[in-house]
Amino acid sequence: MHKLLARQLAKSKSGSGELDLQVLMQLVSEAYEQSDNDRRRTDRSISLMVDELDQLNRGLDQLVQKRTADLREREAELRAQNLRFDAALTNMGHALCMFDQDERLIVCNERYSDMYGLTREQTKPGTSLRTILEARVEAGSSPENAKDYVQQRLQEVRNGKSYYTENELRDGRIVAVNHQPMQHGGWVAVHNDITIQKQAERQINYMARHDALTGIANRTVLVERMEEALARLHNRGSGFAVFMLDLDLFKTVNDSLGHPVGDALLKAVARRLSGCIRDIDTVARLGGDEFAILTPLGGDPREETVGATAKQLLDAVATPYDVNGDQIDIGTSIGIALAPEHGSDAGELMKHADLALYKAKAEGRGAFRFFEDAMGVEASARRTLQMDLRAALGDEENDQLELHYHPIVCIETREIISCEALVRWRHPERGMIPPGDFIPLAEETGLINPIGERVLRKACRDAATWPEHIKVSVNFSPVQFRKAGQIDMLRQVLAECGLAPERLEVEITESVLLHGNADNIKTLRQLRDLGAAVVLDDFGTGYSSLSYLRIFPFDKIKIDRSFVHELSGSPDSAAIVLAVANLGRNLGMTTVAEGIETEEQLALARTAGCTNGQGFLFGRPCVISELDLGRARNKAA
Amino acid sequence: MHVDQLAWSEGAGWAVTAGDLSSADLVVFFGSRRSLACGVRYRELRAMFPSASILGCSTGGQIHNDDVSDHEIAAVSISFDATSLCLTREPATSSEYSRTCGEAIGRQLSAPGLAGIFVLSDGLSVNGSELVSGILHSVGNRVPVTGGLAGDGAEFRETLVSADCAPQKHLVGAVGFYGSAIRIGHGSAGGWDEFGPRRQVTRSRGNVLFELDGEPALDLYERYLGEEAKALPGSGLLFPLRIFNPAHREHDIVRTVLAVDHERRSMTFAGDVPEGWTAQLMRGVFDRLATGAAMAARQATDSLAATAVGGDRLAILVSCIGRRLLMGQHIVNELEAAGAEIGLQVPRLGFYSYGEIAPHRVSGVCELHNQTMTVTTLAEAA
Repeated sequence: MHKLLARQLAKSKSGSGELDLQVLMQLVSEAYEQSDNDRRRTDRSISLMVDELDQLNRGLDQLVQKRTADLREREAELRAQNLRFDAALTNMGHALCMFDQDERLIVCNERYSDMYGLTREQTKPGTSLRTILEARVEAGSSPENAKDYVQQRLQEVRNGKSYYTENELRDGRIVAVNHQPMQHGGWVAVHNDITIQKQAERQINYMARHDALTGIANRTVLVERMEEALARLHNRGSGFAVFMLDLDLFKTVNDSLGHPVGDALLKAVARRLSGCIRDIDTVARLGGDEFAILTPLGGDPREETVGATAKQLLDAVATPYDVNGDQIDIGTSIGIALAPEHGSDAGELMKHADLALYKAKAEGRGAFRFFEDAMGVEASARRTLQMDLRAALGDEENDQLELHYHPIVCIETREIISCEALVRWRHPERGMIPPGDFIPLAEETGLINPIGERVLRKACRDAATWPEHIKVSVNFSPVQFRKAGQIDMLRQVLAECGLAPERLEVEITESVLLHGNADNIKTLRQLRDLGAAVVLDDFGTGYSSLSYLRIFPFDKIKIDRSFVHELSGSPDSAAIVLAVANLGRNLGMTTVAEGIETEEQLALARTAGCTNGQGFLFGRPCVISELDLGRARNKAA
Repeated sequence: MHVDQLAWSEGAGWAVTAGDLSSADLVVFFGSRRSLACGVRYRELRAMFPSASILGCSTGGQIHNDDVSDHEIAAVSISFDATSLCLTREPATSSEYSRTCGEAIGRQLSAPGLAGIFVLSDGLSVNGSELVSGILHSVGNRVPVTGGLAGDGAEFRETLVSADCAPQKHLVGAVGFYGSAIRIGHGSAGGWDEFGPRRQVTRSRGNVLFELDGEPALDLYERYLGEEAKALPGSGLLFPLRIFNPAHREHDIVRTVLAVDHERRSMTFAGDVPEGWTAQLMRGVFDRLATGAAMAARQATDSLAATAVGGDRLAILVSCIGRRLLMGQHIVNELEAAGAEIGLQVPRLGFYSYGEIAPHRVSGVCELHNQTMTVTTLAEAA
């Protein structure tokens, strides 16, 4: 019997043991009901649970699907990203490699393998740094000291710090390496072939320190070496000498034979100078035709040794040159400053050497001079004079530049036919300054151009007031010929002043024609075409080459006063005056005897055949107000 | 120790087996709310046992050996040879004060030689977890506390406790056992089967559960109960809720429903249901529930087995009303299974409760259980 039924039977029995059927039935019915409930409850709960689990499962399924889709999307994104990185890596201009914390290659681009001549196999991911470095040594793409390099590189990497280094490889290439550690170990390094850049840098550096034309050192290097020498000097070293050289007549060569010849000549000079010096000396071109030499000195006597060197340099430069078949003669002047006697810094020493050079040049070129303190004083005086001259030019109201006129007469009639305009400077403090004291300075500084123009303008204006048969004669400096537009200026001044060009005589010295200067001859022809007369001044001094007379048909030749003064005493001078007068007559040129002071000189000049005369005999130079244009004639009459 | 069993029925009145009633130290009794509410039965017991401490409560069915009765009152009288007692009571008007109430009881019982506490509490106005926590706070974790929450059949209206007083609501009574002779064994087991998905407690406050996996908890229960949802909260016991902290999943606790709030769609449980914990529904299969009861009985007897016992033993069985609601007439199966483990010669007294109190089988710390059979065995050393 079922345990439950037995229990129900027991519960249904009364105290007397009788079975209460109603109680039993109720218990049994209840039990059935409970069983039904329990079964329904179980069914329901299991069905609900299945539903719930099913729903959960579906949710999980969806989640898995979504996650899978997400993953695929992310994978695709990663692939695309990787492709982009790949493309970037492949196409970047630099070589790149990335290593992990175990010093194993993670990735590198083709440029990296190519740069170091490594195969793909040698640069596959996972390869150790040491293996790659050794492969590079094998391939010849490591620096010179391969063994040290491998060790050094490994050590640098293990330092864990970023660094930049430049390696010169055995094949001459230079590679810059930029090493950058990564956050979680390992590093990324960018390798860049900077060979061309380095070469350019070296070239630029070379160019910055060398003269492009001659290849010798430039001013920068000279100053640098001088500073070094000065530093040594302070350190109880011995002194040194600075030679400043300026070629004589180089300008003329350049003007007459052209720049290519001038350049070739400069190169030749540089070579010769370099040949004269020792290894410890420095020769530099400072620009134009200026050179400098720095030479360390040993013991005394200093001036003799340095002087001997200077002499050597003078001789070397003065030896004739053959440039493209042209025989060229030039010379040089040298100024010398000694350290420490003449200066305590490079600037001062160079300035002093320059002053000495100026002096050497002023004293006639082809010589050397040591710096002296007096030169400084002179230079200072020159500077003051220059400033005053500039001021004088600026001050038009109180015109300090006066014109004095010196008459030129017909020897036969003693009539004034022309007046030479001579500039005088009436300095407000120093009084009258003669032309010889300021004209060379004006030529040096270029102030001669405004002075010349002013003289011309004044002279033309004055001459326009004179009788028409009297001409005016104006001096033109060779410097003025170098300036473009002189003819235009002249034409304009004549027009302004209302003076016929035929009344203007332009006096030049023979240096204008030196070396057959083509530009100057062209200018002279234009002058002539304009209608002005061209006069060769001071004939007989300087080169006095007769070929000049052939090169340009002058209207007039002025025979230098030195010959006229000696007409009576020196037969040679008389012969020369006679010859020039004959030459003039034959070539159809008027001849002027300059510096006639006595009647005897006048008579001799007339006898020699000179057509015109000039000198104190006919009157001293005077201002226009004192000029008596009829006097000479009157006197003659 | 000497134990006598007593029973009261409406027709026969008190049936006393034998013995000298005046020497009894402790009387423990269980009866339905209806049979106890009048207070007559308590006065009768007090008259019979003038010098004993009397502790009892209303139930969801009285256990008398292998039988369950709804109408009879089951009781035992116990005389101790070498054990002293202290009985105390505290009012428990609201679950908010359960911890304070527990602390007060603990304080009153705390004395040298305290070997164990048996507590009976109001079953509706007390948060059992807090009550136990309060007692332990006062006496320490090492004192075993067993007992249960009074019941009211399947009605959940009012529960009564008597502790040297007429049975009344909102009361907690407890007796402390003192001395070195007393031996107290205990065991607790459920035997329920987990089923369905694990859910997360997404909203709760104390012992009030609002949401599981973002869904009102009451919706879930109503869906699973179907027609039987009408009988909530009682029918909620058919699907106990197993909860555990995800970080300590071996320490799981089973919670039973005390009340539902249809408006707020919330459910009140006999103990805390912390937010963030994992919850899983359980269902009972008769045989396995009976096996669970047997396991609890074995734990309780095993802990006494090592001791030589002089005199009688007693087993107090506190089983959950949910088990009875589910098993119906088959409930006797679990009593027989437990009895077989305890020994048929040992008197077994108990009740179907709204919550069981016993040390956790894993942590050893006393706490409130639900849906379990808990067995407390008492004996004195020889």
